Amino acid sequence: MSHHNENSIQHLYEGDQSKLYSGVMSHHSDVESTESKTQIKRIWKVFWVLLLITLVEVVLGMFFSHEMPKVLVAFLFLALTLLKAGYIVAIFMHLGDEVKNFIVTVLIPLVLFVWFIIAFLADGGFWLHMNQSFR
Amino acid sequence: MSQATATATTATEPKLWGGGHSPFNVSYGKMMMWFFLLSDAFTFGALLIAYGTTRFFSAVWPDANQVFKSFPFLEGMNLPLLFVSLMTFILIMSSVTMVLAVHAGHYGDKKNVVKWLLWTIVGGICFLSCQAWEWTHLHHEGGWWGSFTADNTPLSAFQGFFDVKRDGLATVAASGMRSTHDFFNYFFTITGFHGCHVLSGVCFNIMILVNTVNGTYQRRGHYEMVEKCGLYWHFVDLVWVFVFTCFYLL
Repeated sequence: MSHHNENSIQHLYEGDQSKLYSGVMSHHSDVESTESKTQIKRIWKVFWVLLLITLVEVVLGMFFSHEMPKVLVAFLFLALTLLKAGYIVAIFMHLGDEVKNFIVTVLIPLVLFVWFIIAFLADGGFWLHMNQSFR
Repeated sequence: MSQATATATTATEPKLWGGGHSPFNVSYGKMMMWFFLLSDAFTFGALLIAYGTTRFFSAVWPDANQVFKSFPFLEGMNLPLLFVSLMTFILIMSSVTMVLAVHAGHYGDKKNVVKWLLWTIVGGICFLSCQAWEWTHLHHEGGWWGSFTADNTPLSAFQGFFDVKRDGLATVAASGMRSTHDFFNYFFTITGFHGCHVLSGVCFNIMILVNTVNGTYQRRGHYEMVEKCGLYWHFVDLVWVFVFTCFYLL
């Protein structure tokens, strides 16, 4: 067994698996190619979208949110937040470019949050109700 | 005949889970990074939901536009949300430079990986500096873990954190101190935990920058480590999106 030659242990690196990749995540050679430039364009487009959403949120928070119904404000902010999160995960983290099986495997556990949020916030609201109604 | 068709299908299309290749088309290290981030998402989720629960059972809650209205070197001016918008912009920007570094890595473009990683590190350090200023500022205003518990605290000490016109002075006087205490406990815990993530992300980025400059990934034949650290860095940005909404907007 020779461990002196770097090339002979190359296959032991995790990276050898990367040769199995295909599509966007695989390795290319020409950074000046149209494909590469399309990717970079997409990245900058998402940047502008994220910036725009953040600006809308800040303007809403600074000037309007105090005069609007609380439920509507919460709904708007949460919708915009989830939109931003979706862009970051799908484009920046490249989850949108992965195999569908993998996307589903990563996203399914997050469904637990639905129960988690509803159960705990409802409990908090009930506690306030009890506290104010029975002294 | 059906058997013949089945054989033909197997020959052209190997079974997805039959072995010999990655069914998820993703390496072990990257998949484990995803699962780690999933677990981290639940940790942050638990903290934010605990914050939400406390907020729901409080009769009043500090108003973000009152608490976060200061900007460095512009003391005394009323600039709600402006500073945190700057912090958010810095973090989004550093996420963009990171994804550009990952992109350069896919093409084995060492020079650009180094360039974009450097910008990402600069962005991370800027964000941490902003956070240090904000923590110091709020500490001067009296906020800290376990603050606002003394019985003889005057109303004037915490009244300024509330939208008194909306909530009513009587309510603020009755239960405002308790919720100010809760607010700062959660604020410092959650932004602190997020700040630790940013700090370790900056350290990882410095490590992979050194490796890139040394040519480690070039010899290895790929820049997957940049991609994995990139996932971590984007996650930190992702968490900030939620922290921003929960603490500063809602």
